[in-house]
Amino acid sequence: MALRNGITSMLRQAAIVKQHCPASRLSTTTTMHLDANNNDLATLNKTRLDTTEGKSLNEIGLGPMDRTKDFDTRIELDVQDDLTSFNGVPKEHTKGRTVRIYVPARNQMQSATNNSHLWKLDFDVRERWENPLIGWASTGDPLSNMQLNFKSKESAIAFAQKNGWEFVVEEPQPAWQYKHKSYGYNFSWNKRTRVSTK
Amino acid sequence: MFHPGGVHGARHIAQSLHHVKNAIRGTCSSKLLMQQKAAAAVAVESKKGTVTPPPTGPAPTAPAAPNSVEVYIDDKMVMVEPGTTVLQAAALAGVEIPRFCYHDRLSIAGNCRMCLVEVEKSVKPVASCAMPVMKGMRVKTNSPMTRKAREGVMEFLLMNHPLDCPICDQGGECDLQDQSMMFGSDRSRFTDIKFDGKRAVEDKNIGPLIKTIMNRCIHCTRCIRFGSEVAGVDDLGTTGRGNEMQVGTYVEKLFASELSGNVIDLCPVGALTSKPYAFTYRPWELRKHESVDVMDGLGSAILVNSRGGEIIRILPRVHEGINEEWISDKTRFVYDGLKRQRLTQPMLKNSQGLLEPVDWEDALSGIAARINRVPGQEMAALVGGLCDVEALTALKDLMNRLGCETLCTEESFPMNAAGTDLRSNYLLNTKITGVEEADLVLLIGTNIRFEAPVLNARIRKAYLHNNLRIASIGERVDLRYETDFLGDSVHVLAQLADGDHKYSEILSKAKKPMIIVGSSSLQHGDGTAVLANAIVLADSLRSKMSSNGDESDWKVLNVLHRHANQVGALDLGYKAGPSAIKQMQPKVLFMMGADDGVVQRRDLAGDAFVIYQGHHGDKGAEMADAVLPGAAYTEKYATYVNTEGRAQRGNVAVTPPGMAREDWKILRALSEFVRGSSVLPYDSLDEVRKRLAEIAPHLTRYGQVEDANYFRQSKDLVWNAARPGHSGQTLPAQQRELEDFYMTNTISRASRTMAKCVTAARHQKSTRYGL
Amino acid sequence: MLPSIVRAATRYVSPSTVSRGIASSTPVLSSHLFVHRDTDYNNPDVPFEFSPDNMKRIEAILAQFPDGHKRAGVIPILDLAQRQHGWLPISAMHKVAEVLDMPRMRVYEVATFYTMFNRQPTGKYHVQVCTTTPCMLCGAEAVRERLKEKLGIDKGQTTKDGMFTLSEVECLGACVNAPMIQVNDDFYEDLSLKDVDDIIDNLRAGKRPTPGPRNGRTCSEPIAGLTSLTEEPKGPGFGLQAGL
Repeated sequence: MALRNGITSMLRQAAIVKQHCPASRLSTTTTMHLDANNNDLATLNKTRLDTTEGKSLNEIGLGPMDRTKDFDTRIELDVQDDLTSFNGVPKEHTKGRTVRIYVPARNQMQSATNNSHLWKLDFDVRERWENPLIGWASTGDPLSNMQLNFKSKESAIAFAQKNGWEFVVEEPQPAWQYKHKSYGYNFSWNKRTRVSTK
Repeated sequence: MFHPGGVHGARHIAQSLHHVKNAIRGTCSSKLLMQQKAAAAVAVESKKGTVTPPPTGPAPTAPAAPNSVEVYIDDKMVMVEPGTTVLQAAALAGVEIPRFCYHDRLSIAGNCRMCLVEVEKSVKPVASCAMPVMKGMRVKTNSPMTRKAREGVMEFLLMNHPLDCPICDQGGECDLQDQSMMFGSDRSRFTDIKFDGKRAVEDKNIGPLIKTIMNRCIHCTRCIRFGSEVAGVDDLGTTGRGNEMQVGTYVEKLFASELSGNVIDLCPVGALTSKPYAFTYRPWELRKHESVDVMDGLGSAILVNSRGGEIIRILPRVHEGINEEWISDKTRFVYDGLKRQRLTQPMLKNSQGLLEPVDWEDALSGIAARINRVPGQEMAALVGGLCDVEALTALKDLMNRLGCETLCTEESFPMNAAGTDLRSNYLLNTKITGVEEADLVLLIGTNIRFEAPVLNARIRKAYLHNNLRIASIGERVDLRYETDFLGDSVHVLAQLADGDHKYSEILSKAKKPMIIVGSSSLQHGDGTAVLANAIVLADSLRSKMSSNGDESDWKVLNVLHRHANQVGALDLGYKAGPSAIKQMQPKVLFMMGADDGVVQRRDLAGDAFVIYQGHHGDKGAEMADAVLPGAAYTEKYATYVNTEGRAQRGNVAVTPPGMAREDWKILRALSEFVRGSSVLPYDSLDEVRKRLAEIAPHLTRYGQVEDANYFRQSKDLVWNAARPGHSGQTLPAQQRELEDFYMTNTISRASRTMAKCVTAARHQKSTRYGL
Repeated sequence: MLPSIVRAATRYVSPSTVSRGIASSTPVLSSHLFVHRDTDYNNPDVPFEFSPDNMKRIEAILAQFPDGHKRAGVIPILDLAQRQHGWLPISAMHKVAEVLDMPRMRVYEVATFYTMFNRQPTGKYHVQVCTTTPCMLCGAEAVRERLKEKLGIDKGQTTKDGMFTLSEVECLGACVNAPMIQVNDDFYEDLSLKDVDDIIDNLRAGKRPTPGPRNGRTCSEPIAGLTSLTEEPKGPGFGLQAGL
């Protein structure tokens, strides 16, 4: 039960942190890292959760604003747990909705790949509109601003199941196959690779 | 934008970059976190003694070559194939080396020098993108020497780079910005005491899609290499030399490629940006929705960016099986067509014969009243190429329940012999990736460059790297690589099928031949003969392969469709082509997304009632008595089956405008109003998809290609039927030139950007420089 | 408290240990544009065809290159075009691209890279003054000024009668005979200002002045005669061991 209360308070705190997040009002982000699969740290984390009741996410090292703490903190959660009855999310926000679990695509405008090495979970899209007052994008769907990142597909699925959300898993496409490249191909004597002058 | 008399140029950059970065961090607080987590993950892996690449992304898997050599990247050992570059080896070890000019899918240029790393026993830092590994090489990617080298390169790059990040469209997703924050110096030595400023370069006008701000160019030459290697259009190049070198076209000319938009992605700085997207939003303001493109038959992977209820831009996603990481200009820039000409309200014809907006209930009951008066045998349905599988299923279920069996697609297909009964007859059987294994491609009646630009880019890639040989039959078109032109009519194909053409020998020697039949040639008068001969030829090539001991089950025959979900419709049992409708002259015609105008009023009974359901006011809505506003591809959760037979899910980016709704929901609602027990038995997307799985399980095996077979049976059926005759007319290419490429469906016809492209292509053709 | 903060701030702002160099050179920019602008004398419709003689030369040039590498001949063939036309209009570049079957852009790249391809109309005599260091030290600037005065044009310009174009160029490799000018293919070396006048007058009169050093010496030998290597050259085998 202590564990359950811990989770509940955590989720409530998440909502508070979200409201107070000053960085951007356009799309506020709550980031949580949960990994249910590592049992090594189970005991440790159980203790830790037990003792963190009533503390904010920042204090237990899970808050979005705090980047200095240990981010590899894993929380062991019993998969049978069902949070739907007491997580306080109004039914109209989750009923009939599906969450999508996927590996985000790399931004093709850039070379780096770092933010495509995780699993994301988000809800299906509901209506958004541009608020005529000041041009901000508005929505009636509070869950649309929730971005959850997971280390693995399994932990994302476990999280969705615990919350009683219908989910769809989008398996990533096979990764880029290694292809032998050489600077010398630009000057190959008898190949068509000698096509560019650059 | 340089600061007159400023002595801390780079610091200004750093400040403006910092500003931008802070704003990014505000929304992407997870970024740093994930970097740490990724680093931690790599560290954990290395403790176990093996190094595995991250689960996804472009980090490749190491080839398990027996003669691999060991290389140490930051004291971590990786085994790689000899000749691998240092940069690739580092990627295998999970270390990303900063780069500007290097790109995985382009040739190695080695001109930006950002990838310099220290190699033990080497006096100077080494450009890792071009340096092959050697046995036992020890690479230090984060040593003081490496860091100093990067800092020096950054300093030189920034010396002539304007400080206009605050007004630059690349801001927030700029490699130069990020890397100057990560690797650049914290202060500047750049002084401008003579006030002659930074290098100034004239902006080029290369068309209505790409905006150029050439001051920002850092001469990485990625765009030039893309042009000459991937697109095969050598319009871009460097002129001048030294400090005055510039990237451009020399003469004022359109960058005349159907893939031109990709240079916007490739450009690591803000020199090439998107004209339609210019000055609209910052990348961190946008929501990203992974989806599937419907502009051609390939179903390229796209990332739709939206803000509010509006689509702001479309970017490609990597899909190795389909589009690698390129998309065509139509895919990328068509989105403004989704905001114009939309149907936003249900409409019914009033007593004066004018369409009048009504609410949903009136529309549905009005339609049901007409439908209920007509027996099922006198009804028909016609669907266009953009309809998703869910909507097609709902429509078919509804019409079948009403007793109607005439459901047709706009695109026709030869129904001789097996017709569309055998799936192998209408699929791209070798898959798109088959191009990379093939050694000979025979194109029949297709201008593949415009019908499937990304597939054409892959053929060109195989042409360059695998010495792929390409032959073509049909109207002569410029595909941007050399082809063996065999003839322009089906006559040549018939000779090849009989084995008495001089090219037959070359064909039969091919180890992995591919025959790609364009769907437009199958709609030609000789279409039946084209398909029959292609089937016979493919079968003879297959039997030759197996008699040579080839066990690979290589499928030779391929059909290339031009519409996003034509295969899906055929899989569901829709009849190809409107001929059945024209014969029966239906009293009620239900048109869903049918906008090509293949069925006219004169093909129907005099008092026929035409219902149009779709998203754009085009030819279909023009002739309709009732209009039901549906959702476009970015507005619905929908499945599309591409020309390979690969079912893919598209996702919602924005909700449909006005009163428009997802198509299957409209049909479900209509089923409540029509006669008898027609109510469709599904209430949610999940249930529709369960129904899909009942009809054809492969439609819910997302991302997978369902193989088709029975080639021999198909050929036997062709043999048994009378050999179709042919007129020997030229097989015309539907899209001959660049100007024909841009406007091919109802969305692109509504797009102003596409209209501008057509104008630009026509204008370019009329200038003294030509296309 | 306050003074210590100020002190700390001062230390931060002016670190005495860091020295900073000031780069003060201004790059000299080319007088040419590296983009093309259509004009009535330089546009794709200006007719350009290789003469039959030059077509033969092109064949001879291309015969040097193996199949698939014919485009390596772009520099000599562009040179041929320039010699035929006097300068290199865009239509000539297009013709070269056609002859070599290569994209036009690739020809533009070569033609803009090399400064000796003149992409603007050039006079009958292209007078190029070398002003790189050795020539400059020996009075090239005076030579340049005299040329300007004599021809009545600034560098980079062409006389109204279309006879002379004056350019300032970097080292032409005749440093030992500085100062020097190049007129079309001829080097005039060891110039005095009088020689400059003389050369221009001769050219105006339609004569070709004798190329080479103007101060009487042969090639780059010392003016007062040889100071070394004065004896007869030794024959083959000189200095070899008897055993070899």
